[in-house]
Amino acid sequence: MRRIFYLAIVAVLGGLFWWGLQRNPGELKSVLIGKPAPDFELPLLAPYRQEWGDRFRLADHLGKTPIVLNFWASWCYPACYEEAPVLQAAWERYRGRVLFFGINNQDKTSEALKFIDRFGLTFPQGYDPRGRVGIDYGMYGVPETFFIDRAGKVRYRHAGAIDAATLEAKIGEVLR
Amino acid sequence: MRWALAAALFLALALAQTPTGAPPPDLSPEVFRIASQLRCPVCQGESAAESNAGVSQEMRRQIAEMLREGKSEAAIREYFVKRYGEWILYAPPKKGINWLLWLAPAIGLGAIGFGLWRYLAEARRREAELALSEEELKALERRLEEE
Repeated sequence: MRRIFYLAIVAVLGGLFWWGLQRNPGELKSVLIGKPAPDFELPLLAPYRQEWGDRFRLADHLGKTPIVLNFWASWCYPACYEEAPVLQAAWERYRGRVLFFGINNQDKTSEALKFIDRFGLTFPQGYDPRGRVGIDYGMYGVPETFFIDRAGKVRYRHAGAIDAATLEAKIGEVLR
Repeated sequence: MRWALAAALFLALALAQTPTGAPPPDLSPEVFRIASQLRCPVCQGESAAESNAGVSQEMRRQIAEMLREGKSEAAIREYFVKRYGEWILYAPPKKGINWLLWLAPAIGLGAIGFGLWRYLAEARRREAELALSEEELKALERRLEEE
């Protein structure tokens, strides 16, 4: 009887330990999932002003097409450097059906422009030197990508560099 | 003489260190007190008060702004919980399953106390079993003397 009792305790503790090891501490669910995307207004970086105006207000674009929001910074190496070409390629493919918006987070303008130039990013880029929008979105660290559906709700948050397959799959989900 | 100089230099250098964790002059200690209850989102085990990450600095700035607007400490905490979830708080709110967390030390101590009590009771019982009665003791002493 006693032996069974001790075995049960060991099994429970072992199970808890095993469960803890399976959890990925980097995988944090956004509390925004299923909720309306927080609105923001940001100044656009110079190369995009002619086409998109001086400022970008999210609310003006919600409810038309799904939106992919990408937080990045030039100092975020290598993750942001890995995903930039992936995002640009997807933008070229989905332009008109999905809006991509980049948010340059806590960066220097000159460095941000160099980054944009390097990857030839053509989707609009806002400038947020203080990182206020990042906090509004409960962002842990760049890069992070949020998928907002046509109804203006946050559907998915991807932390870390996004790969082409994930990007494709999540765009498919918000387009549906 | 040289030793005295070296000692003086050492002392001067030691005193020149600024105390760590002292708030920069531009933000009030109140900001740091609230920030110390919040996690720095990009750090491992550092609060928004200690960390110098960009996001922590911005959090402190926002706390200072909200204090200036007259927001309460609870409202400021709620502001960050709404964005990051309860994860952002160092002290999880005392409700629901979180009670298990708060009571865990008491439960652990209770279990240890129970185990100790059982063990001591068992030890006392065994001791009583082994103990010799008065007559037995006398009989043994007599035998020792005879031999």
